[in-house]
Amino acid sequence: MARMKFLCDSERCIECNGCVTACKQEHEVPWGVNRRRVVTMNDGVAGAEKSLSVACMHCTDAPCMSVCPVDCFYTTSEGVVLHDKDPCIGCGYCFYACPFGAPQFPQDGAFGMRGKMDKCTFCAGGPEADNSAEEFQKYGRNRLSEGKLPACAEMCSTKALLGGDADEVSNIFRDRVMNRDGKGAGVFGWATAYGKGDAKPSAQEKVTPKVEAKP
Amino acid sequence: MNRMRLTRWVSCLFVMLTALCGTAHAQTPDGAQQQAQRQQTQPGNNAPVWRDVRGGENPYQTTQVRGRETAVLIQSGGETWRQTRRVFTYYGGWVLAIVPLLIGLFYWRKGAIKLKEKPTGRLMARFTDWQRMIHWTVAITFCVLALSGLIMLFGKYVLMPVFGRTLFSWLAILCKNLHNFVGPVFALALILMILTFIKDNFLKIYDFKWIAKLGGIVSGEHVPSGRFNAGEKLWFWGGVMFLGIVVSATGFVLDFANFGQGRELMQLANVVHAVSAMMFVAAFFGHAYMGTLGTEGAYQAMRQGVVDETWAKEHHDIWYQEMINSKSSTVAGAQGLVIPTTIKQG
Repeated sequence: MARMKFLCDSERCIECNGCVTACKQEHEVPWGVNRRRVVTMNDGVAGAEKSLSVACMHCTDAPCMSVCPVDCFYTTSEGVVLHDKDPCIGCGYCFYACPFGAPQFPQDGAFGMRGKMDKCTFCAGGPEADNSAEEFQKYGRNRLSEGKLPACAEMCSTKALLGGDADEVSNIFRDRVMNRDGKGAGVFGWATAYGKGDAKPSAQEKVTPKVEAKP
Repeated sequence: MNRMRLTRWVSCLFVMLTALCGTAHAQTPDGAQQQAQRQQTQPGNNAPVWRDVRGGENPYQTTQVRGRETAVLIQSGGETWRQTRRVFTYYGGWVLAIVPLLIGLFYWRKGAIKLKEKPTGRLMARFTDWQRMIHWTVAITFCVLALSGLIMLFGKYVLMPVFGRTLFSWLAILCKNLHNFVGPVFALALILMILTFIKDNFLKIYDFKWIAKLGGIVSGEHVPSGRFNAGEKLWFWGGVMFLGIVVSATGFVLDFANFGQGRELMQLANVVHAVSAMMFVAAFFGHAYMGTLGTEGAYQAMRQGVVDETWAKEHHDIWYQEMINSKSSTVAGAQGLVIPTTIKQG
């Protein structure tokens, strides 16, 4: 059986937020809920800027599952961590425990009371019948049941975000690492995009990265 | 003079602030600098960035998604919290199971503290209407909070296997809402109760003797005490005052999640809240036992506000003498004799 995993290639992510938009659009998530987000490290620092798209990483030993007081989480046979919204009491413990900040809580009622938790489902829906109206309303589209991969990864323009069977994902990534020419612009595939030889951006390589503050 | 000092102080503060801001602006995070250099020597080696992802938010870490701590990629506190929670759930559970057992054992072996002499039938006012009302407000809200809190913490292991998940989750949702809305009522009532009872809870010399003899609970003798004995005073300062305020303060941090507090603060608040609340409940078992089953006539004091003269003499002799000596305070109505004339005759 496949074991589903996300992987974001920090050399390819260009912080376009296409994955974030794809996710919102696919699942029609409510305002204020962000199942996926792109975080940029060292934003504006020349030579050190890296972006990563992050959502629920579908942990094998999921902290959310361990701390949930009503045991609403479960792992599918494909290794996707899903949750049942019906028993969820909105205590926020999964949010405290999650390393990635994946669990989201729509505000429900007075004093910022938390509603039912919402998070990335790896486009695998929830416990309701596949592709039922109820499932869509609570968890969004169930693409996995239709034989499709998560919308965010499918939509990624630079193929930085990979989602799917862990073996496949790691094969692709290993391939990339092996074939990167390992220098400057070559790392992110300049040669692949613009051809080899003269077109190689010698100017790019000679640029001295200057560390300076963001304006 | 004062004005001058103030100006000097303000200018000093201003200089310090500018210095601080200056350094803050000039610095780029170490990780970013390292990464920029690493990119030169070893292209594709992102180790400095990967070390940074657990470092929380720095000014150079951004995201388009709005919200609290959204620019944090990985927070390590969650795992610490998860492990800590496992430990206190385990030991706390045992403490809360063993304490009532020990109290039960004590009651079985020693029984209740009975009056040695016959009740005289003359009653003394011990608690006013206000004092009883505030006590029971705190007591009832405490019981609601304790029960709902314990169900949310231990229910997964104790009740869910019995009820099934659907039924238990209904109970847990009810408990969460009760806990969230009764909590602030408890905190308010607690403060009023502290103000009401603080006057008679200051430690006196004779309280230390009481503590040294453990209130005579082993020897069976009576150790002199005022309106409240040292055990009650310890419950007041350690339980009601200290644990009560700690539990309320951390509870507010967790209850009102809409003030932008971060996960680290809420994890810490949750641990402190749960640990102190379990200590509070364990101590409460002792208080509830002494006030009902453990001491003959004690429950009546808080239920009806009056105690028998014999009870007062045997449990709170110094208070009894004070009440007899100062008839004026009985007129004030706070404490003292309900039927002063009969006492005189007696």
